[in-house]
Amino acid sequence: MNELIIGIDLGTTNSEVAVVEQGQVRVLDDGGRKILPSFVGIDDNGEILVGERARNQYLVYPERTIKSIKRLMGEDTHVDLAGQAYTPQEISAIILKRLKTIAETSLGQMVSKAVITVPAYFSDAQRQATRDAGAIAGLEVVRMINEPTAAALAYHHDQSAAQRMLVYDLGGGTFDVSVVNVEGGVVEVLSSHGDNHLGGDDFDQRIIDYLLDHLRETYGVDASKDSKAMARIVRAAENAKFQLSDQPYARIEEEYLLEHDGSPVHLSVELSRMVYEEMIEDCIDATFDALHIALKGAKMTAADIDEIILVGGSIRTPCIRERLLDEFGFEPHGELDPELCVAMGAAIQAAMIGGQQVDTVLVDVTPYTYGTSAIGMLNGEYYPFTYVPIIHKNSVLPIRKSDAFATSFDGQEVVDVTIYQGEDPDALNNVKSGEFRIEGLQDVEAGNIITLTLELDLDGILHVSAQEKETGLEKSITIKNALSRFESAALDTAKQRITSLFGQMETGPDVVEPHEEEEETSTAPEIEAAKKLIAKAESLFDQVSAEDREDMIDLIETLSNCIKANDIEGLAEPSEQLADIIYYLES
Amino acid sequence: MKTPYQILEVTAGADDSEIRQAYLQKVKNNPPDADQEKFREIQAANESIKDYRSRIRYELFHEQTLDFDALLDQAFGTDQPRQIDHDQFIDLLRAGVEAIELESITIEPEKT
Repeated sequence: MNELIIGIDLGTTNSEVAVVEQGQVRVLDDGGRKILPSFVGIDDNGEILVGERARNQYLVYPERTIKSIKRLMGEDTHVDLAGQAYTPQEISAIILKRLKTIAETSLGQMVSKAVITVPAYFSDAQRQATRDAGAIAGLEVVRMINEPTAAALAYHHDQSAAQRMLVYDLGGGTFDVSVVNVEGGVVEVLSSHGDNHLGGDDFDQRIIDYLLDHLRETYGVDASKDSKAMARIVRAAENAKFQLSDQPYARIEEEYLLEHDGSPVHLSVELSRMVYEEMIEDCIDATFDALHIALKGAKMTAADIDEIILVGGSIRTPCIRERLLDEFGFEPHGELDPELCVAMGAAIQAAMIGGQQVDTVLVDVTPYTYGTSAIGMLNGEYYPFTYVPIIHKNSVLPIRKSDAFATSFDGQEVVDVTIYQGEDPDALNNVKSGEFRIEGLQDVEAGNIITLTLELDLDGILHVSAQEKETGLEKSITIKNALSRFESAALDTAKQRITSLFGQMETGPDVVEPHEEEEETSTAPEIEAAKKLIAKAESLFDQVSAEDREDMIDLIETLSNCIKANDIEGLAEPSEQLADIIYYLES
Repeated sequence: MKTPYQILEVTAGADDSEIRQAYLQKVKNNPPDADQEKFREIQAANESIKDYRSRIRYELFHEQTLDFDALLDQAFGTDQPRQIDHDQFIDLLRAGVEAIELESITIEPEKT
C-alpha cells in the first residue's frame, strides 16, 4: 500500500511542492506557477494572501505583508501582520497550508503528510520550529531532510560508478554546502557546513544600503523611515540584482519615491556588476570558507570532487560560478532547475517513506557537534564550563552516544545539565540548545555517576536523557529551544487561529481555487483585457528565461496595482509592453 | 556479540574497498527508516573497520587486554640473550601501543 506523501521545499524567498507519480517526479503547479513566493499578507477585506499576490501587495502595503519569515524560525519572536502578532511558525504554517491546498487541488485528493526540507545547517531549534509549523498547517511532517541532500537525491540517476558531489546551495536566506558520495544506490552525505543567515537577502540589503546612501548624499533624505518608499527600494534592489546576473550594468529608476521638503524625490542611479560584486565579496568569501570546512570534514580536497551541483536562486550571481570554476577547474551541473530540485528531492524521499519502490537509500549526517559542560581544564586552569562534546559533527544519523559524569560534592542531590551546540572548548562560547535538572539523587559522596545520553534522530532533532547509574533514576527531554517552545495546547490554538484565517478557502480538495481570482466587481473592458493578458503571461512562465519572467512579473505587478486602484489609464502602457513580450515569446 | 567483520559479512583480511562495498550493500538492504538499531549497528561496524587506521585500532583494543609490564618482563627479564620471537614481538608492540596515550596514534575520537 502506497501512501501519498508530498515533498515540500519551504524556502526563504520561494516555496515549492512536488510528488512522485508512477516513478516520475512532478513539481505541482498553481495555475501554471510552480514557484510560490514565500510571502504572506492580509488584503483590504482581511482575507489572507499567500504567494504572488502577497508579494505584489508588499510594494503597496508592506505593513500587512511578511517576507522571508524563514530567517526568524527558531527564534522567540513575533511579527506584526495587519496589527496582529504572529509567531514565525504560524506564518510558515500559512505558506505550508497554501502548498497543501495546491497539492490537493492538483492531485484531487486530501494530503496530510509531508517531507519538508530544511537547510542542512538549521539548528535543533529551527528544525523543531519547522516541525511545529507543519503541525499548525495540519500536516504531519514524516521527515525533515536537508536541502542540499534533497538536491543530491534529485540529481542521482542510478549512476553505477562512484561519484563525489559538492552541493553548493545559496538560497534567499541560508547557505549550505555538503559533500555527498553517490555509490551503489546509496546517497551518502560525508559532511555539511553552512550559515543560517546568509543568502540573496543579504545581497539585496547591500544594494538597499547603497541606494539609501545615494539618496542621503544626493537629496539629504533618509528614506528608511518611509515604509512605502522602502518597499519600492527593496524591490528595485532585487530587480537590479537580477539584472546584474546577465548584464554588466543595472539602471535603477524609481520616480516620485517620496517627498522631501515639499518636492518629490526621484531615485536614479546606475550600478555596475563590478561595484555590486565588491559589495557582496565578503558574503561570497564566507561561502567559500564554509566550502573548505565541508571539504576538510569529508577529508577531501577540491581535486577529489567529480561534480558540483548548484542549488538556490542566488547561484545566478556570476562571480560564484567564476570562483567555483577557479577552485575546481570545471563547470557545475545545471540540468535541473536550481529552484525546483530541492522540492523534487523531497518528493523522492517522501516516495521512499511512503513505500514506493525507489532505488536509493539516503544516509545523512549532523553538521553540528553537541555536548555538555563539566568542570575541567581549559588553558591549563580549572574551569567550570569546559565543553565536553558527545556527538561529533558529520556523524551519521540517527546516532546515540553516552558519556559518564560524576557529581562534584558530597550529598549532591541535584545536577543541572546544559546541552550546547558547537565546537568551542569553552562551552559558554557555544550555542545553548537547552537545559534540564535531575533531582532526587542519592545522598552519597562526590563521584555519583550520572550517564548522559544524547540522541539525534533522522530529522536532526536532539533527544536527551540522563540516568543515575546506581538507582536507574532517569530524566529525559526532547530539547526544544526553551524560549520558542510550543506546547501541544499552544500548537492547537495556533492551528485553530490559522485555520480560521483561511476561512472559506480551506474546505478540501473539491474546492476549485486555482488562481486566487480577483474578486472586484469592476468590469471595465480594459480591466478584463488586462486580466486576460496576465493569465496568458502566467501560463508562459515556465517556458521563459528568468530575465523575461522577471520583466513579466514586474509588468503584471504594475497591472495588478492599477486594477486594484481602478486606474484604467495606467493600464495602457504596461499592457502594451506585456503584450509585446507575449507576442515575442509566441512567435 | 558479533564482530564488525561478522556484521558486514567480510573476512578478517578484507581491504578497504571490499569493506566499503559490503557496507554499501548492507545499507542498501537496511535503510535507516526500516530498522534504526540495525542501521546503527552497520554504521558502528563500518566505523570500526573502514580503513587501515580504524582496523589497527580495532585489533588493538578489542582483542584481549595485554599486560605490557608482564610481557616486558617475559621478554627481557631473563639472563638469556635478548632475543624474542615474532609473536612475542607483536604482542609486546601491541601492548606497548596500548599503554601509551590513545590520542597520540589516532586522529578520530573513538567511535562506539
